[in-house]
Amino acid sequence: MTAYIDYKNVVPKIVIGLTIFLIVLLPVITVNVATLSMIILSGIWAIAVMGFTLVLRTGQFSMGQAAFMALGGYTSAILTVKLSLPFWPSFFLAGIASGMVALLVGMVVLRVGGIYFSIITLALGEIVRIVAEQWEPVTKGTRGLITSPPPPIALGFFQINFATSTVPYFYLTICLVAITTLIFWQIGQSRLGRSFAGIALNPVLAEHQGIHLMKYRVIAFTVAGVFTGFAGCLYAHFLTVITPHMLGLWQSIQIMMMSIVGGTSSLAGGPIIGAILLYSFGIYLSRLPVFGIQQLLFGAAVALVVIFLPKGTGLVDLWERFWRKVVWREKEFEFDEVEE
Amino acid sequence: MPYLELRNATKHFGKLAALDDIDLRVEKGETLGIVGPNGSGKTTLINLISGYYRPTRGEIFFQDKKISGLRPDQIAKLGIIRTFQSNVLYEGATVVESMLISSYQQYRTSHWQSFFETKAWKDENEKVVGRVIDLVKLLDLLNDTFLPAEGLSHGYQRMLGIAMAMISNPGVLLLDEPTTGMNHEEAKFVVDKIKKISQQGVTVILIEHNMRVLLDVATRVVVLSFGNKIADGKPEEVMNNQEVIEAYLGTETV
Repeated sequence: MTAYIDYKNVVPKIVIGLTIFLIVLLPVITVNVATLSMIILSGIWAIAVMGFTLVLRTGQFSMGQAAFMALGGYTSAILTVKLSLPFWPSFFLAGIASGMVALLVGMVVLRVGGIYFSIITLALGEIVRIVAEQWEPVTKGTRGLITSPPPPIALGFFQINFATSTVPYFYLTICLVAITTLIFWQIGQSRLGRSFAGIALNPVLAEHQGIHLMKYRVIAFTVAGVFTGFAGCLYAHFLTVITPHMLGLWQSIQIMMMSIVGGTSSLAGGPIIGAILLYSFGIYLSRLPVFGIQQLLFGAAVALVVIFLPKGTGLVDLWERFWRKVVWREKEFEFDEVEE
Repeated sequence: MPYLELRNATKHFGKLAALDDIDLRVEKGETLGIVGPNGSGKTTLINLISGYYRPTRGEIFFQDKKISGLRPDQIAKLGIIRTFQSNVLYEGATVVESMLISSYQQYRTSHWQSFFETKAWKDENEKVVGRVIDLVKLLDLLNDTFLPAEGLSHGYQRMLGIAMAMISNPGVLLLDEPTTGMNHEEAKFVVDKIKKISQQGVTVILIEHNMRVLLDVATRVVVLSFGNKIADGKPEEVMNNQEVIEAYLGTETV
């Protein structure tokens, strides 16, 4: 489980290329706001889920990843609304602020890690929500902050206007997803990824081979925090509002569920598939007039994945099996018969 | 100047003194065997040197630098690498993956170079992979390179443990019972490898129950009993020491 699933080995490059091509060209086919916002929000969640998966790669189970989205969202909202800073500096400051909190919390908690880390991150999520609720002068409490979309970018005679259409936002999100995927993939391939695998698989052995456990856990947690903060900033500015209840415990749990259903063993693909599936499914379910049906069915989905695909491969594994058995027609390994 | 030195090293677990005022000097290039009945503190000694436990009292020096109180990873960085009594592996990783994880200390290029896959990193990586293959050959794991580590047989898992320690280029190698659960031939194979390792100039400290192995490989033997050092010297001398025989077989009563 040390290497990520490499989609190039499972799915032909042309299929991946075609899928990316289709997604990129989606606004040409349809400019339906509902479809585009669904993809945008799935993309934002996918970034958060990638952060969760990166932390999970070091053997730590973070139960409060939505807190970093909230931190990023609130930082950027406060900077743009209260201090009237432009969008782009506050976008980067949102990531930095969220990363700083991850760094500080990580330096304290990741000394021990394990279940203590899970509990503290759970508490962190609640602390962030309560502070956002109670700090009325800055966060406006439960009413939340009204944010504005990013300002138009003028490229000569051509103007990218975020306020009038969702298409620019769509490309902005796709870009951020692509950059995050690239960086996280590269982290997994480099020496960092090896150290992460080592401390996840056997912390005691890794420590006796010279790997400083806390350092690498903190690096993973901080990098995840930065990118989750970016995602939170996009989230707040896309929905043009941020309230304490938008990013609470249920959203943290949703991030975990997306990661588990998509597949924890793949860094980029699993989170993307999980986020798109669960997010669109959740939107559909939230229209039904049954209270709590979303939570119920999500829980059932996680239970099914854990029972039937227990190796952390999630739905990606199903796809791989399908590809091997049906498309490649790969046979089970058989011994050559010995001739007498 | 001794290479590795323990001064009054003591470890208490509650009121139990697992190690009591141990003084030990190890010279460079030695192969030191540590023997003693069960519960005499052999593994505790290795745990103290490798930093897994902190000594209750006393100090440990490596090349005149105090190492007691450091974390295991800091001690490993100085070149003191250990193996474990049970088979401690990266479960889920293949043999070559475990070796690459263990090769952590071999790299001089920074994480950034590795992240951007610069040429320096690629060259270094190639060198390290070459070393991994050499070691895998030396320890007879070549056929199992791409098998999951937990699927190997007990003997090969122990060899993998030694290989994972050797990839770090240790100055001192601490082997905690490398031949447990092996038959005579397998043990002989391990002994040959330990000899080869010590010929490379590595100082080896090994815990061993099998006397035949110990007499074969060790240049010096230390005997522990109930946390005390009761003998220290050439293997043949120590084996004939009356106190040692008593510790192992009990006192003679008529």
